[in-house]
Amino acid sequence: MTDAILFWFLALVTVCAGLSVILMSNPIYSALSLAMTMVGVSALFVTLGAYFIAGVQLIVYAGAVMVLFVMVLMLFDLKHEIQAFTRGKITGAIKIASVGILAGLVVGAITLGTKAIEAAKATEAVAGKTYDNNTMSLAQNLFLQNVFGFEALGVLLLVIAVGTVALSRSRGGTHARD
Amino acid sequence: MPLGGIIFITLFIGVFGVILIYLARWTGGRAKRTSAAKMEIYECGIPEQEKKDTKISVKFYLTAILFILFDIEIIFMYPWAVGFREFIHSGAGPFVFGSMIIFLAIFIFGLWWEIKSKALEWD
Amino acid sequence: MMNMGTTPFEITINVIKTILVFLMMVQLVPILVWVERRGSAFIQNRFGPNRIGPLGLLQLLADAVKFLTKEDFVPDKGNKYLFYAAPIFALIPASIAYMAIPMSTPLIVGDSKFLIQGFEVNVGIVFILGVSSLAAYTILMAGWGSGSKFALMGAMRAAAQIVSYELALGLSIVGVIMTYGTFNLSDMIAAQQGALTFTGFGSTFTAHFLPNWGIFYQPLGALIFFASAFAESNRLPFDLAEGEAELVAGFHTEYGGFKMLMFFIGEYGHMMIASGLFATFFLGGYNIPYTTVQGVHDWLMTTFGLSVDGANIANTVVHFLMYNVKFLILLWIFIHVRWTLPRFRYDQLMDLGWKTMLPWALANTILTSIVIFAASQFAF
Repeated sequence: MTDAILFWFLALVTVCAGLSVILMSNPIYSALSLAMTMVGVSALFVTLGAYFIAGVQLIVYAGAVMVLFVMVLMLFDLKHEIQAFTRGKITGAIKIASVGILAGLVVGAITLGTKAIEAAKATEAVAGKTYDNNTMSLAQNLFLQNVFGFEALGVLLLVIAVGTVALSRSRGGTHARD
Repeated sequence: MPLGGIIFITLFIGVFGVILIYLARWTGGRAKRTSAAKMEIYECGIPEQEKKDTKISVKFYLTAILFILFDIEIIFMYPWAVGFREFIHSGAGPFVFGSMIIFLAIFIFGLWWEIKSKALEWD
Repeated sequence: MMNMGTTPFEITINVIKTILVFLMMVQLVPILVWVERRGSAFIQNRFGPNRIGPLGLLQLLADAVKFLTKEDFVPDKGNKYLFYAAPIFALIPASIAYMAIPMSTPLIVGDSKFLIQGFEVNVGIVFILGVSSLAAYTILMAGWGSGSKFALMGAMRAAAQIVSYELALGLSIVGVIMTYGTFNLSDMIAAQQGALTFTGFGSTFTAHFLPNWGIFYQPLGALIFFASAFAESNRLPFDLAEGEAELVAGFHTEYGGFKMLMFFIGEYGHMMIASGLFATFFLGGYNIPYTTVQGVHDWLMTTFGLSVDGANIANTVVHFLMYNVKFLILLWIFIHVRWTLPRFRYDQLMDLGWKTMLPWALANTILTSIVIFAASQFAF
């Protein structure tokens, strides 16, 4: 009972934060709402018993990725962006299109989600699993079964780092003027 | 994890903070007599000097994104570190140790490259 | 309430306990401010606040009254909502992370068991790192919400500094996790009881003259952790975010009165987390050196003739005092360092974080893993 209340409360908070990402006109508010969404998702992971994943969600998404977003948004002068997001026919059209895409996503997610739930119910073994030491099972999955994917991820992160440095060096765009 | 307790105390601290802010507003009083000079942001004794678009170095962006990349790599070490002894006991020690050494070699190469390419240089 | 107890009585106690830990943290801040001001005066051969009350202790009260009577002020260019929200959010990550640190042995009276901490989190380290990494938002919100270039520059610098040192901090903990093989802080403390014992290479070594503390297994990790903890809590020598010479006061340039005090609580909160975590990882947490929790319990029972419940209570109190001794000494080291070391330059700070501490933390991780691996594979 209390678990259900907790879940619905968290779900409400997360969905509201997610909605305010797209409804806020100020990009800073949007980014902060997205950070709140990440925190909410992390709390939802806790209700599923995935403690380590919840912590990772908090450290990587809320504590690193969203900090980057907020920092980058604060680097710019946002007055034009706020205006661009609040009026204009083209942005209005984009908004309507976005709502359409979102509606499609929601419908798709519900359809796929119900299918996934049915599939999960079919394999009842998952439900019987204890969640006591799921960090260890994660580690086994990562370092024994999928070790090549793990190493490939290291290479991918290296490539991203190189790409970022190269991009920040390029003298195009706004830097071309001075 | 005591999620209920965490949420409760978060809300409690939030309410506590709001009450403190309102208390200070009430006891200190709100700015009644205002003037343009008073409401200005801080500047060292002269009228506000602000360019139309304050430019901030791209280094901050670079630092933040390199932080994310290395942070993800460090996060991957956590489950490895916590399970290392168990892996050794179960006989998978050499394999897991080797896989992490390769991962760390990529990590170290990345860090070495960042330092060599002067991406972490602040002037 | 999820996992906050089974009976209404336990839930009530646990809820009140979290509030008490929070209020304890808030109450500690004025005392620390007083210690800091008297201590700095002592270090710099001055008097410090000594007029109001005995030893100037009532200065705290006078300061609070002064803060309360300050006029509420938001600059015209600032963003009102973020400007007010930032100090409130400054309280949250620091307090919640601190609550996960165990401060004493669990209090067992009859059938009830109460943990002397806000709440027990089984992935303690990951939780604390995650929650305290949210502190960067506070600074960014304050900096941007002020609408001032000094504040924004200070916030940018602070955020870049915090994220840079989070890497060294996170990596120095990997060695600790490997040594204990757990994320749980209580398990780590339990592993640090008694005299220094090292099992490996097919035999067991015991050094009776040293306590079984993490700092002897992870000296380099302890050093890196301690240094990055200074940077994480924006304290000198890493307080570039508020370098007075360049940035007036950094991200809280426009703040005054009680809102400023709330940022202070956040900053001291991070100091407390760093001290508590350092004590837990490297100094045996609440353990009394050379002894075990059970040993102290038995000693209390035989020496004072206490009942089991009485000994449990006395045991908890004794260990709580021990934790606080370590905790307060570490806090004093924070204050002492602040008033003895000069500030870094910003490029030196970033160089230290990325080019010195991160490689050394990596070296520490690799060394630890090699030693643990070798100790299990080879025997003498």
